[in-house]
Amino acid sequence: MLAYTTYKERETSKILLHFCYIFFSLIKNIFTIFRFLLFPCNLKEEKMRGSGAKIAGVLPLFMLFIAGTISAFEDIERLRIWPLPAQVSHGGRRMYLSGDFKLVTEGSKYGDASGILKEGFDRMLGVVRLSHVISGDRNSSGSGGSALLQGLHVIISSSTDELEYGADESYKLVVPSPEKPSYAQLEAKSVYGALHGLQTFSQLCHFNLKKKVIEILMTPWNIIDQPRFSYRGLLIDTSRHYLPLPVIKNVIDSMTYAKLNVLHWHIVDTQSFPLEIPSYPKLWNGAYSSSQRYTFEDAAEIVNYARRRGIHVLAEIDVPGHALSWGKGYPALWPSKNCQEPLDVSSDFTFKVIDGILSDFSKIFKFKFVHLGGDEVNTTCWSATPRIAQWLKKHRMSEKEAYQYFVLRAQKIALSHGYEIINWEETFINFGSKLNPKTVVHNWLNTGLVENVTASGLRCIVSNQEFWYLDHIDAPWQGFYANEPFQNITDKKQQSLVLGGEVCMWGEHIDASDIEQTIWPRAAAAAERLWTPYAKLAKNPNKVTTRLAHFRCLLNQRGVAAAPLVGGGRVVPFEPGSCLAQ
Amino acid sequence: MSPNLLSLLFLLMIFISLSITSSLSTPSPADSPPYLWPLPAEFSFGNETLSVDPALTLSVAGNGGGSPIVRAAFDRYMGIIFKHASGRGSLLARIRFLRMVEYDITSLKIVVHSDSEELQLGVDESYTLMVSKKNEQSIVGAATIEANTVYGALRGLETFSQLCAFDYLTKSVQIYKAPWYIQDKPRFGYRGLLIDTSRHFLPIDVIKQIIESMSFAKLNVLHWHIVDEQSFPFETPTYPNLWKGAYSRWERYTVEDASEIVRFAKMRGINVMAEVDVPGHAESWGTGYPDLWPSLSCREPLDVTKNFTFDVISGILADMRKIFPFELFHLGGDEVNTDCWKNTTHVKEWLQGRNFTTKDAYKYFVLRAQQIAISKNWTPVNWEETFSSFGKDLDPRTVIQNWLVSDICQKAVAKGFRCIFSNQGYWYLDHLDVPWDKVYNTEPLNGIEDPSLQKLVIGGEVCMWGETADTSVVLQTIWPRAAAAAERMWSTREAVSKGNITLTALPRLHYFRCLLNNRGVPAAPVDNFYARRPPSGPGSCYAQ
Repeated sequence: MLAYTTYKERETSKILLHFCYIFFSLIKNIFTIFRFLLFPCNLKEEKMRGSGAKIAGVLPLFMLFIAGTISAFEDIERLRIWPLPAQVSHGGRRMYLSGDFKLVTEGSKYGDASGILKEGFDRMLGVVRLSHVISGDRNSSGSGGSALLQGLHVIISSSTDELEYGADESYKLVVPSPEKPSYAQLEAKSVYGALHGLQTFSQLCHFNLKKKVIEILMTPWNIIDQPRFSYRGLLIDTSRHYLPLPVIKNVIDSMTYAKLNVLHWHIVDTQSFPLEIPSYPKLWNGAYSSSQRYTFEDAAEIVNYARRRGIHVLAEIDVPGHALSWGKGYPALWPSKNCQEPLDVSSDFTFKVIDGILSDFSKIFKFKFVHLGGDEVNTTCWSATPRIAQWLKKHRMSEKEAYQYFVLRAQKIALSHGYEIINWEETFINFGSKLNPKTVVHNWLNTGLVENVTASGLRCIVSNQEFWYLDHIDAPWQGFYANEPFQNITDKKQQSLVLGGEVCMWGEHIDASDIEQTIWPRAAAAAERLWTPYAKLAKNPNKVTTRLAHFRCLLNQRGVAAAPLVGGGRVVPFEPGSCLAQ
Repeated sequence: MSPNLLSLLFLLMIFISLSITSSLSTPSPADSPPYLWPLPAEFSFGNETLSVDPALTLSVAGNGGGSPIVRAAFDRYMGIIFKHASGRGSLLARIRFLRMVEYDITSLKIVVHSDSEELQLGVDESYTLMVSKKNEQSIVGAATIEANTVYGALRGLETFSQLCAFDYLTKSVQIYKAPWYIQDKPRFGYRGLLIDTSRHFLPIDVIKQIIESMSFAKLNVLHWHIVDEQSFPFETPTYPNLWKGAYSRWERYTVEDASEIVRFAKMRGINVMAEVDVPGHAESWGTGYPDLWPSLSCREPLDVTKNFTFDVISGILADMRKIFPFELFHLGGDEVNTDCWKNTTHVKEWLQGRNFTTKDAYKYFVLRAQQIAISKNWTPVNWEETFSSFGKDLDPRTVIQNWLVSDICQKAVAKGFRCIFSNQGYWYLDHLDVPWDKVYNTEPLNGIEDPSLQKLVIGGEVCMWGETADTSVVLQTIWPRAAAAAERMWSTREAVSKGNITLTALPRLHYFRCLLNNRGVPAAPVDNFYARRPPSGPGSCYAQ
């Protein structure tokens, strides 16, 4: 019914895709020295529509060449696990999940009074069963029932369910071979480590199309895993566009699949102020409309929803620069009616409001950090407003000094509410030595910043925009994968100050309609960089294409609108084809 | 006084002060149109604001009131209506539970007259919905939905959910402009959306998201274009090699998956019409059974000469009959390029032996497939080429689906056929350069004046062809434009045809798009000229 693709074109494309798929499948088995062979295929995919036919003739030659050289070397790319665990070994046997696959916790010190583990287990089974209706006879499959996994035995050694930053997220997962006892075993220090283990377990599970039950291939499995970085973040921006609650919850759920652990909530900016602040109830008059708002309870619910999935919520108010919307409710916060940003530095009321906000924050945002922004401060409104110009003069401050005064005073307020502070990098560049030593500097703009920050003894989070800004829709996933937080940092002490990194989903052109496919699969590429040991990361991102494509299809299967890999950046599929090949 | 009581009193005072603020800031009803989509056939409203109890109870009556379909729908809609954290179970709600504050609407009564849950073309979807404050006649404040079938009740529940809005000042759910009296029914019995799982596989969860979103716009037929030349993702127990034509092992539907989709859709009052598109769009069949190809080098259309071809069709339809209870079954029949028949020796000889032109063979194929469908108690649906090529030979029960020529329904109904309107210039969702107003202004009955002929147009369908739409973009390519067609097909012709749609429809469509977003459906901005483009800049959902 579609007139715009001719029969011949479709025919050629399909054959090509098929070849490429086979090609990829073979490539995944090739030892590192053949890595360069991936490039022709990528090239081919881009050219597929036009000059594909010529390359198709060459492909079989490549394939013959490769087929003859498939090595016996273990190739981690065969494991469809994302992000790749620290240590994996496996066998070659098949097991099936029992129809009433159970959670068993004997010997665990963790009581699970809050139900975090039970819910996590049920969610895990939920996504595993999402792919197909399980209709096979689930208790007699396998050889005499011995290949049947009865459940998962989870042993957690810490009794608390406090979600603490930097706490142990490690886990150990053992899936036995068919001869061995019939429970898989998951050990973790904390329930949040166990949640990661559940995610990994879910990725070992597949649907068997003949028996119509869930199976695990390549048993026995032994997986020992822990994250490389303790801060693995994703920023969302609810000021440029309001994101409804179910959308934020979907984002949080999808983060767990890639083992990200910090949702950086850039709540407020110039454009709108959607959050209720009980201390200053007119602030959310700055929302786009009466319904594009979050109640205080909504925010608490988001924090709780995230916490139960092992995800911290980092709240941000971006002062003094990105705060025009504050003045909709309290115009006194503006320098003047026609010069509305940055916040009025000369007025105590400004800092009282900040204090009120952070006081309210401290009741619901329990993460140890709060983000105070501090980027892109254009101070001309201060000098241009006579009242403030006079104040500057009286206090013998330049605009830049007033900027410093503002940021430092805001920092003190945050500290008084028990928070450690994160600020964007401009604060470090302008007055780094004055920043409170508890400050974490959030990189976005300059390369080399991370080196300077850590050399000065401050902690740092990496979000360099050329690679990790998701709103740069032309930025391909390969760049997200290859971006190394320790770039040029060899000193161990300095390395230890790099808490991790964060991909940023700025919202100027992102709303509920396109957020998921702009985040995924590119955020997943960064997630592996932040999780997997450096030595196990592919030096050439194209080496992980097959495994990432598989993870993207897994996200799709779980209802997440992750975009195709082929085409660079955020793209739509350009023609019919398999999810695995696009 | 105990501290508890003190804090309760304190909260109560806050609440009262908030209520006062809210009554001051509630916009006056005259300012805005009723934000319902699609617009009900008849409605009236007043000037009151009513609060809805988060512990809203369901009471049912009538022969069909006890249907699990009603109960499940009520539970779904409770989740939708009270999705803010401060709805059910919040402190304020608990205070109110202690009868310190009373809600205006504390129960929803659903009356369903028929106990039949059969879902077929033309099922009665009408309902009346009344929402009013308690008065002398009723002690309990209530909303009432009355319908002949459970499916009418589902439509009424959707409308009820659209009347409910979360008020951020009182942190409660309110119904503005009450009392409401709505009497509603669809203009067309067939209001479809096509999805295409051959060009791109759509996971079950995604198909369910699509079905769920259809129910919000009161669409009622999911046309499932399962198979095409690119892939055959469907399990067919009678011919188990067919799904070897799937893209991969992961991109397949089992029989049970399909049944689950049909069940899920039925719970939402949506029929699933399956399609196998023969003989043209069927190359992928031959991956499992190469005999179905004319030859290895010329693979489409299906080999018309072999009984095996029709055995396979019969087998597929027999298997599908167990899954798809809907009376309509789509046999495709479009874009048949018969060159392969002409160029393959054994087919050419067969044609000569029967003195057939390739066009005769095309007709022979389609009619034989029709008889197979009819023998399985199905009413065949075919794309319009079958009508334009050999209309007089088609089984008279055939429903013609338009796509290519704008006046085909006009011609088809003139010959006594029923017709589904899907004009590609306006209702093909994969055409990204058709903005919402063009979709909205397209009238299925154009050029058909005779009321008895108008009745033969059973409805319309928007088509989401999958060449460039996979899981990552399918929902935002469907919405919000499918909603524009949905109102065209549901609401009265007068309501959608008169006046300036920028005033009568656009603000409501903005609102409906944001409603979809609020329910987690990634509907794209309304105002972009090109479909599924990102918002042009920061701004309110209601203004983009």
